[in-house]
Amino acid sequence: MAHNDNAATLNITDEEIDHICEEFGNREGAVVQILQTIQDKYGYVPAEVLERVGEDLGIPHSKMFGVLTFYSQFYREPRGKFILKVCVGTACHVRGAGLLVDKIKENLHIEEGENTEDMMFTLEPVSCLGSCALAPMAMVNGNTYGKLSGDKMVSLLKEFREESAGAPETEASPAS
Amino acid sequence: MATQTVEEMAAGLFRDVAIPTIHIGMATCGLAAGARSIEELVVKELEKRGLEARIIPTGCIGMCHNEPLLDITMPGMYRVSYRNVKALIIPQIFDAHFVKGEFAKKYAVCQIPIAGHKPFEGLPLMAETGFFKGQVKIVSSRCGLIDPSSIDDYIATDGYKALRKMLTEMTPDMVIDEMTKSGLRGRGGGGFYTGLKWKLTRQSPGEEKYVVCNADEGDPGAFMDRSILEGDPHSVLEGMLAASFAIGNARKGYIYCRAEYPLAIKRLRKAIDDARERNFLGDNILGTGFSFDITIKEGAGAYVCGEETALLASLMGERGMPWPKPPFPAQKGVWGKPTVINNVETLGNVGHIILNGGDWYASYGSEKTKGTKTFALTGSVKNSGLIEVPAGTPLRSIVFDIGGGMLEKKIPFKAAQLGGPSGGCIPASGLDTPVDFENVIAAGAIMGSGGIVIMDEASCIVDTAKFFLKFTQDESCGECTPCRVGSKIMLEILTRITEGKGQEGDLDELIRLSMYVKSNSLCGLGAAAPNPVLSTIRYFREEFEAHIRDKHCPGTVCANLIKYVVIEEDCTTCGLCEPVCPTGSVTWDKGEVAHINLETCIRCKACVDACKFRAII
Repeated sequence: MAHNDNAATLNITDEEIDHICEEFGNREGAVVQILQTIQDKYGYVPAEVLERVGEDLGIPHSKMFGVLTFYSQFYREPRGKFILKVCVGTACHVRGAGLLVDKIKENLHIEEGENTEDMMFTLEPVSCLGSCALAPMAMVNGNTYGKLSGDKMVSLLKEFREESAGAPETEASPAS
Repeated sequence: MATQTVEEMAAGLFRDVAIPTIHIGMATCGLAAGARSIEELVVKELEKRGLEARIIPTGCIGMCHNEPLLDITMPGMYRVSYRNVKALIIPQIFDAHFVKGEFAKKYAVCQIPIAGHKPFEGLPLMAETGFFKGQVKIVSSRCGLIDPSSIDDYIATDGYKALRKMLTEMTPDMVIDEMTKSGLRGRGGGGFYTGLKWKLTRQSPGEEKYVVCNADEGDPGAFMDRSILEGDPHSVLEGMLAASFAIGNARKGYIYCRAEYPLAIKRLRKAIDDARERNFLGDNILGTGFSFDITIKEGAGAYVCGEETALLASLMGERGMPWPKPPFPAQKGVWGKPTVINNVETLGNVGHIILNGGDWYASYGSEKTKGTKTFALTGSVKNSGLIEVPAGTPLRSIVFDIGGGMLEKKIPFKAAQLGGPSGGCIPASGLDTPVDFENVIAAGAIMGSGGIVIMDEASCIVDTAKFFLKFTQDESCGECTPCRVGSKIMLEILTRITEGKGQEGDLDELIRLSMYVKSNSLCGLGAAAPNPVLSTIRYFREEFEAHIRDKHCPGTVCANLIKYVVIEEDCTTCGLCEPVCPTGSVTWDKGEVAHINLETCIRCKACVDACKFRAII
């Protein structure tokens, strides 16, 4: 799961940042994509990295900060290994997404936008993921889970923990 | 020339195929319902039986309520669709088709005709089922039928034929003429005439021009564009090629897609690569001297970027803040150059219009809204999914014919929310409203990009208004004061009402603020933000008043205002409600009606959900 490997974040060098900026031709217009590339690789965008990108592209830090904080999908802090994107769009709301969020909060002792202490989970309610017919639904690290209930969510959390501990993946369901 | 029928389209897909074909619905909705594990099971079952078959992933055919979907096409026979496929029934489906030469009646939902193939007896055709009967599929015609990652499937179903026709037989003016004749209006919700937009951009001076596809579908409850991008990505590329040709060879196009749609982005990338390889994109396309290429830009999570000027700002690496119009993008867009910006669904229609003519497209729809419109039908309705109907189809037929009526038979229809955070609610008395741009506006909502959320009597109108306002308030970019501050004060009032602290005069104040925010905001987001509040007050004033005066929530949604009671006549004394109560507030003895102690009740709704007889309200 290189995507959210927090340990790697600390190791990002100025050369690596310069390299990413160069890939996009150091163009000012590519700043959103550059930050996305960095975040995809390292999980978040630390302050010193933001500064370096600004220097490379010739953009004042104030403006860089403005861009980074405008978009909800940029993060300035490290995040958990499993990002629980719980959809709170209209259809999910109508079918009880609120209860789902409450259940996660209760189970993991975190609030919206927070990480668990062991950096395993991050709770991130998101607006519509566009699978309304399967409401309420959630997306965890790119995989979608539909027709969730509080109990299903709790067993999913357990599965993720086991998966992370290296336990063999559970079969989807028996063939017959 | 007429458009391809489903039969003809399917015939193109099965030409020269001698082995069975298994299609599995693998759009985001299918995957969420477990399509991936169904695919694994199908592979195993084929191996076990020593059979050979093509397994093809497909996009969303619209029946999201029936996911996971699996279709089997035996050589020479019609394509049979199975719904809600589970591990247990796969062997039965296989037995039916591969052993007995029939179909598994119990699980089949319909059959899709293929020209030159034979039908099965006793299974309705797709077009005869309630869900598909009232639908006319143009822009979504390929979704769910073809393999979206195969350019050959697209070509086999008349894909890139419009491009060829345009480059070899038409001038840019002729293309604009056909678009004008078609009457096609912006499907993202704006409703601006596409032909006129292209004409204006063509007339803008300058050599350097751009085409932008707005795929930043952010309305909660809307997934039309996602379905098209995931189910038929090439149609959007073909539409962009036409726009480029029409405005005077814009050499570059951008697709701005929201990052919440990873699968759509993946399918688009593949489509662009394949199109380049076949020279439908790139330099000197099909040897005609026409050149055009497309870059994908991923959004970073900002709803306001669906607004065209904010989208352009974001595209250029800025904060996604809208700018006041004029200048319009047609005059000054990307990098200050004339730019056509169209929504996914609009562009998806273009190829069909060029191929079949503007008059053909205009023969569908209502007087001022021509053609068809896709909708994401969701909420408390039986058949939720993606639908496409001629503009002007009455709301009633969308909900009760195509949608199959209410999800829970006992709970009646209360309202349909159209147009998401910029739209409004239409009550039961407005069920006969023809759904097109003008009529929906007259009814107090907007057609918008196409989200329809059905609400039943168990939902709360005030809570819904609060939900949408909270959404727009969160997403307000903060540039102009009316939207930033006005929406915040309105949200505070609504929150107070749902908490039982509403005061006399709150409704008048909400209306006053709504009018102010509407008329003074800089962009469409602020100007439309009060709509969900205004339309709900217009139709459901009593429900607001019940919250304010009687501290009562008729839909039993607002936790502070709920007083759960057991209806004695409906209680079967089964006792299911007692053990689920986390605070021990439900008391019950065998043979006795349950009782709820409101002093200790925390309104968690566990007993309501546990009761199978709806005896607790």
